[in-house]
Amino acid sequence: MAGALSLAWGVTAHRPALLRQVLRSFSVTAVRNQETGAAVAAASIDSRKSPLILDEKFPDSNSIVVPREAWIETLDTSAASTQVGLIHLHPQVFGANPRLDLIHENVTWQKKFRMVNYAHTKVRSEVRGGGKKPWPQKGLGRARHGSIRSPLWRGGGVTHGPRAYTTHFYMLPFSKRLQGLTATLSAKFAQDDLKIVESLDMPSDEAGYLEQLCENRRWGISVLFVDDSDIMPRNITLASDTLRHMNLMPVYGLNVHSMLKHETLVLTVAAVRRIEERILYHFRRPDLPKENMKRFRM
Amino acid sequence: MASQGTEKALALLRRLPRVSLGNLKPNPGAVKSARRGRGIYGGKTHGAGSKGSGQRQNFMRLGFETGNTPFYLRFPYQNYYKGHHMRLSYAPLCMGKLQRMIDTSRLRTDVPVDITQLSATQLFSINPMEKMGGIMLKDEGIDHFQATLNLEVQWATEAVIASVERNGGTITVAYYDPISLQAALNPMAFFKRGVAIPRRMLPPQNLIDYYSDPKNRGYLADPTEVARERFVLAQKYGYELPDIRSSPNQEMLLERKDPRQIFYGLQPGWVVNLEDKVILKPTDPELLEHYAS
Repeated sequence: MAGALSLAWGVTAHRPALLRQVLRSFSVTAVRNQETGAAVAAASIDSRKSPLILDEKFPDSNSIVVPREAWIETLDTSAASTQVGLIHLHPQVFGANPRLDLIHENVTWQKKFRMVNYAHTKVRSEVRGGGKKPWPQKGLGRARHGSIRSPLWRGGGVTHGPRAYTTHFYMLPFSKRLQGLTATLSAKFAQDDLKIVESLDMPSDEAGYLEQLCENRRWGISVLFVDDSDIMPRNITLASDTLRHMNLMPVYGLNVHSMLKHETLVLTVAAVRRIEERILYHFRRPDLPKENMKRFRM
Repeated sequence: MASQGTEKALALLRRLPRVSLGNLKPNPGAVKSARRGRGIYGGKTHGAGSKGSGQRQNFMRLGFETGNTPFYLRFPYQNYYKGHHMRLSYAPLCMGKLQRMIDTSRLRTDVPVDITQLSATQLFSINPMEKMGGIMLKDEGIDHFQATLNLEVQWATEAVIASVERNGGTITVAYYDPISLQAALNPMAFFKRGVAIPRRMLPPQNLIDYYSDPKNRGYLADPTEVARERFVLAQKYGYELPDIRSSPNQEMLLERKDPRQIFYGLQPGWVVNLEDKVILKPTDPELLEHYAS
């Protein structure tokens, strides 16, 4: 497992050339695609003879971009090889600083912001009774009291207790949420838990097929499949329907908690390009204060 | 390329256990407990101090000074300082001193004398950050002024203009916004920064009339009207207006900067590389359009 996949995380300059040489020696011509995933998905699985090389140059960047490389795999076990191609990933998205503290903040925020605490205690004015002075101020030799429902009394009101409905809503700053996503994607990629597939098309709609596939490839106990669209192919939908540890998700639902909850994250090529496009747009957009974004740039 | 720290962190992660929901923790000091003080050292007053409105949870309003007139109510509104942050001040330079600078060869007359040349004499301290606009000419010593110059300052009065033009020179009054002024005052320091030369900004609303008036020889005024005003001023002060076209250094006297230009001979958008002694010019059509506008 380590051999082929560890090559995918190549940083030094000579490795991209080496990988390309290896792939080209098996094919007649190399397919060069720089388009979105739509055209990729259009080609059926079996008809491809040459490897899918998506070596995006990322021309819109201000500075030099050294892309991360990853294998493109297929969910079709009848294909000649598990790997069908090579993809270049943008380092600002998949090679960003794996800020564990920001990942923690994002996960905490996701849990807390929709939390409503329904616990409720009565204050001394709300507890039934306690309007009359229990006994005169002086003369009895007893402690002085004004009400039988004061917090000092048994059965009295609670001074600083929970008051329903306490909401814990807050919005984590936009740049923190953005960097949380890039940190998680980078951490996943660095730990070999990020797999890229050309599409979610499968030959069989049985749950057993999917389970066996993930077992053979050591794709974690739980797997999250992410595609660009929210209408998934029929076969994978049926296969994963009964499996609670294999989930499908569109790109717009991508979040830090789900990515960490599932051990393996499987992205389609279309999803990768969409995620890159969206995240890079937000990094570069002119209306966000540049001073705020500067802190979070690599 | 990512920073070294990022690369090291990602390399570390390859050997560490999988990042999961079960092994996340915040940065030390990031999370502060909201609980009240309890127990041996958090007990007794529980973080509320002793007596007073603080302990009794009946806090004084912000700014309250326990009865005396608070600071924020002591002082009435002062219109004297209204808009003071927008008013510019100028370093004064009287004509007598200008003549002395030329006589002692502190200032060259064979090149156009603008704010850069004047600040190179190191006799002025102009700080754009302190809302200084540049140099203004004062009319002390105009009777002794004899030099022929191509002057560009930020403020000049009628008498000063007359004294310059009487000797066959030209004077223009030009606005420099703070960033352009900082660049113009010390060009070498600006070039060392390695940033593109910016466009000079137009004057603010309260100054645009002054710099568009031909009577003040404003740089935004119509040149034909300026020529007419030169003639009118000569009539007013009673001197013969010398013909610049026939003078030997006519070219130098007629050299003018574009309203968007900061340095003579350099256009906005260019990057001056002092190390390699080259000038880098933009080629992108969008950039060229922006800098030419």
